[in-house]
Amino acid sequence: MNEGAYVQEIFGIPFNISNDLPGLLAAIIVFFTMFWLSRKIRLKPTGRQNVLEWIIDFTNGIIKSTMPNKEGSQFGLLIFTLFSFIFVSNQLGLMLQVNVNNIDYIRSPTADAMTTMTLAFMVLLFAHFLGVKKFGFRGYIKNTYLSPIPYLLPISILEEFTNFLTLALRLYGNIYSGEVLLKLIYEFGKSFGLVSFIPAIPLELIWQAFSVFIGSIQAYVFVTLTMVYISQKIEKE
Amino acid sequence: MGTDFILGTVATSVKWGDMLFYLVLFIVLLALLKHFAWGPVNEMMDKRANKIADDIDSAEDARQKAEELAEKRQSALKESHVEASQIIERAKKNGEQQKNIIVENAHSEAQSFKETAKQDIVRERQDALEGVKNDVAELSLEIASKVISKNLQLGDQKALIDSYIEGLGKQNEVK
Repeated sequence: MNEGAYVQEIFGIPFNISNDLPGLLAAIIVFFTMFWLSRKIRLKPTGRQNVLEWIIDFTNGIIKSTMPNKEGSQFGLLIFTLFSFIFVSNQLGLMLQVNVNNIDYIRSPTADAMTTMTLAFMVLLFAHFLGVKKFGFRGYIKNTYLSPIPYLLPISILEEFTNFLTLALRLYGNIYSGEVLLKLIYEFGKSFGLVSFIPAIPLELIWQAFSVFIGSIQAYVFVTLTMVYISQKIEKE
Repeated sequence: MGTDFILGTVATSVKWGDMLFYLVLFIVLLALLKHFAWGPVNEMMDKRANKIADDIDSAEDARQKAEELAEKRQSALKESHVEASQIIERAKKNGEQQKNIIVENAHSEAQSFKETAKQDIVRERQDALEGVKNDVAELSLEIASKVISKNLQLGDQKALIDSYIEGLGKQNEVK
């Protein structure tokens, strides 16, 4: 949001606390949920273990759709963590928004371009690293930039940047716009007292429901595209 | 709150600390999830997949073994049928042979019995005849001695004795 950010410098590095705090909260929620789900693991799954295995099967399914099973299984943990973290981050701001003195303390961490860019940067760097590791530097250059036809090199290079930007900004834009609209509806509810407060309730409800849907879809899209980019780097075209 | 906070201002510079923060946060989350949730659950899922595969294999094995056993039993049953009929056949043949042998033996035995009986009869008659001859001789001797001892005194009955002895001789010849 355009509200003020609570920026703290530690060792000369500027930290945006109003961005870091919700991220930490989301990570804690993810960790404790998964920790709670993974107690009492048995060969014959029951209750919570079923839920966890369903989530794992879902993320493994995303990998399987882009990559053969043998190669893809090594990315299981990454995709599982990425999906659960982004999913919780997307939903966090819909349930909980803490704003003190015009400074956000808790909202969706993914409603900040910095967060999504970090995640996108991380996975794309990882993809490029895997490409170099698999084909060697020469093979990586050839596979990524010079195939199928060498004179598309400029476009190929440009594509890497657009991949990064679209991956990051798609997620950011969706979640940010969702939160903006939530706040607008809230402002609208406040503006004319009871007359606007009552119609604002179902509006907010509907938009929240839609945002839950968008947040889930965007988490899914993000990890799917991550897998697509990784598979582009480690598979010969 | 110190002076190094910038409050309520639009961020003009990139807060690149966030990048570090999120990288570290994500990697720590990755490691924690791996240790506490992903690792154990995945291990268990693998174990389950292996177990199911093993179970299917062993079920297939068991089924094949059962089929083989059934086949073996069937063939053994057939063989035993054949064998039983063979045994019965053989027993019948043996019985027939045995019967023939026994009957033949009985026949020959009976024949030999008959033979020996006939021979015995003949021999016995011979023996009896000889015995009678001896007896007659002895008797005649005794009679003779007695007659002689008596007739030494009674010479008049000599004609009777003579006729006696003659009669005996005739009887012997008739026999």
